Amino acid sequence: MVDRPFGQTIQVRNLTKNFGGEDVLSGIDLTFEAGSFTALLGPSGCGKSTALRLISGLEPVSSGQVLIGDTDVTQTAPSARDIAMVFQSYALFPHLNVAENITFGLRVRKTNRSEREDKLRHVADLLGLEKLLDRKPSELSGGQQQRVALGRAIVSGKSIFLMDEPLSNLDAKLRAEMREEIRALQQKLGVTMIYVTHDQVEAVTMADQVVLMNQGRVEQCATPRDLYETPATLFAAKFIGTPPMVTFSTRVLAPDSTSNVTLGLRPEAVQIVSEGPITAMIDHIEYLGADAMLACATANGETVLCRASGSTRMTKGDPVSLSFAPADLHAFAADSGQRLQHIPPEIEAALSFQKPGLQ
Amino acid sequence: MTNSARLQWVYAWLLLSPALVLLVTFTHYPAIKSIIASFYSTARGKRQSVYIGLDNYHTLVADPVFWKVLSNNFWYAVWTIPLSIALSLIMALWVNEKLRGLAFLRMAYFTPTVLPLIAVANIWLFFYTPGFGLIDQIRGLFDLPEQNWMGSPNTALYTMIAVAIWKEAGFFMIFYLAALQTIPPSLRDAAAIEGASKVYFFRRVVFPLLMPTTLFVSINAVINSFRLVDHIFVMTEGGPNNASSLLLFYIYETAFKYWDTAYAATLTTVLLMILTVLAIGQFFFLDKRVHYK
Repeated sequence: MVDRPFGQTIQVRNLTKNFGGEDVLSGIDLTFEAGSFTALLGPSGCGKSTALRLISGLEPVSSGQVLIGDTDVTQTAPSARDIAMVFQSYALFPHLNVAENITFGLRVRKTNRSEREDKLRHVADLLGLEKLLDRKPSELSGGQQQRVALGRAIVSGKSIFLMDEPLSNLDAKLRAEMREEIRALQQKLGVTMIYVTHDQVEAVTMADQVVLMNQGRVEQCATPRDLYETPATLFAAKFIGTPPMVTFSTRVLAPDSTSNVTLGLRPEAVQIVSEGPITAMIDHIEYLGADAMLACATANGETVLCRASGSTRMTKGDPVSLSFAPADLHAFAADSGQRLQHIPPEIEAALSFQKPGLQ
Repeated sequence: MTNSARLQWVYAWLLLSPALVLLVTFTHYPAIKSIIASFYSTARGKRQSVYIGLDNYHTLVADPVFWKVLSNNFWYAVWTIPLSIALSLIMALWVNEKLRGLAFLRMAYFTPTVLPLIAVANIWLFFYTPGFGLIDQIRGLFDLPEQNWMGSPNTALYTMIAVAIWKEAGFFMIFYLAALQTIPPSLRDAAAIEGASKVYFFRRVVFPLLMPTTLFVSINAVINSFRLVDHIFVMTEGGPNNASSLLLFYIYETAFKYWDTAYAATLTTVLLMILTVLAIGQFFFLDKRVHYK
């Protein structure tokens, strides 16, 4: 990585976007550090693409500010914001060949011919496009089109890259390759990258910082590890992870509990033991090869997922006793969905005085 | 040939025959008949029509009215084709924006296409009427004298050109509008990020992407410039002194007013040749510049 990143810091303050009386984004505050890779993650319609378009300037803000470096660019044209953008559909000009597509911006800015040629050659070399320069976009595969779109961003020499679901049109294998390539490219160039995606694998594998969005708000802004290990809300807990965290009421652990708390456990945190705090019956098994996902029905009719080895010979209807490390238990306020710092006392009590001799 | 192959062959011809019968009866046969008729004299009374070789073509070359209508038609095409295409493109670009009352605007521009040209011509008659027509009333506001637009040999042809452009532009606009809507909005975004102005984006992206439509529309415009003559019947009848007469109108007059059918066939043959050359030329000239997806 470059000592001092080439990219600039981006800040958004109280960013709001209103479409026809409805808030698509309601007052988000975020900082994107210079040279960092941030993923905007969330389900479709959560406002992540809108946030990106507001930062790019393609869409005017309803209220709030966008700062790039130390400059307020809220009213600045997209071309004057030092940004390059890669679109989901690649937005290649179908009548221009690869070389013309890559140098489109240089032509707009009237860069002289020799400089244009140099930059084109450099980018083509970087992305392995040398042999494709005369082709039209329709003669390229999806992955090659993706590279051309990247090339257009790189050749612009801008310090901020905005990526709008750039890999969603590629097949799974190519997507995995491009993930690595884009991440490597971002580090090599030292640009600040904001990457919109609905794919948590992309977000978690590529980003320094993940911004999880839901219904126009930021649910959590954290490193991938923190997002997984300490989800700030129920939504974050149930969005991240494949399969995501399983949540259940406190009655699974303390049948008399009436507290307004939702508990959560990741499937891999649950182990089958001879005597554990949860007794259940296997409801169904999803066999995944290396692993098997056991859906266990608890006594009060809720479900807890347990990740077992793929070699397990348990079958539907088998009784099981489940246990977990207390540190792996997450607690959320059932009404607000906010993470609770402490597990309710009656649950702690239930965990320390486990009822013996069931099984 | 096996039985089933023969059956397929019969089916093919049966399926083709309805269109084939109509095309042959009303297009191919008359066209060929016209070409043949142009080498014969017109039958009059007891005189049979006889083969006269190229006599009709000699008459045509020496006919000052033919040259007059041909040059009229040339100027008619020179003005109507580019102007109606340019106007339709400008209207389409405007109507393609997100505007209030857009549906109304689109409909308004398309209305001239829906109206029959005969009716349209009558409306335009009122516009051009000397003294109390719309144009002269507006000129009156600025104390300008009355003007007989359709009655003057200098302006008669241009009154016809104006009607044709007004009639055609809305129709072509629909094709441009449809083409514009297939251009993905992300291209505009990509160009905006690069700092391309609206004019640059139009010149380098939109216009090239519209070329297939432009080709289609221009071929139609060329054909129409020889075909659209209805308003001449209503408005000027080719006058004054053939100043607003066009080739097709002259053919009609020759055939059904003067009943010189052989000479009309000769004129028709010439018209067919002109159209063929233009259509082929357009395809070869423009096809190289057209980007098809």
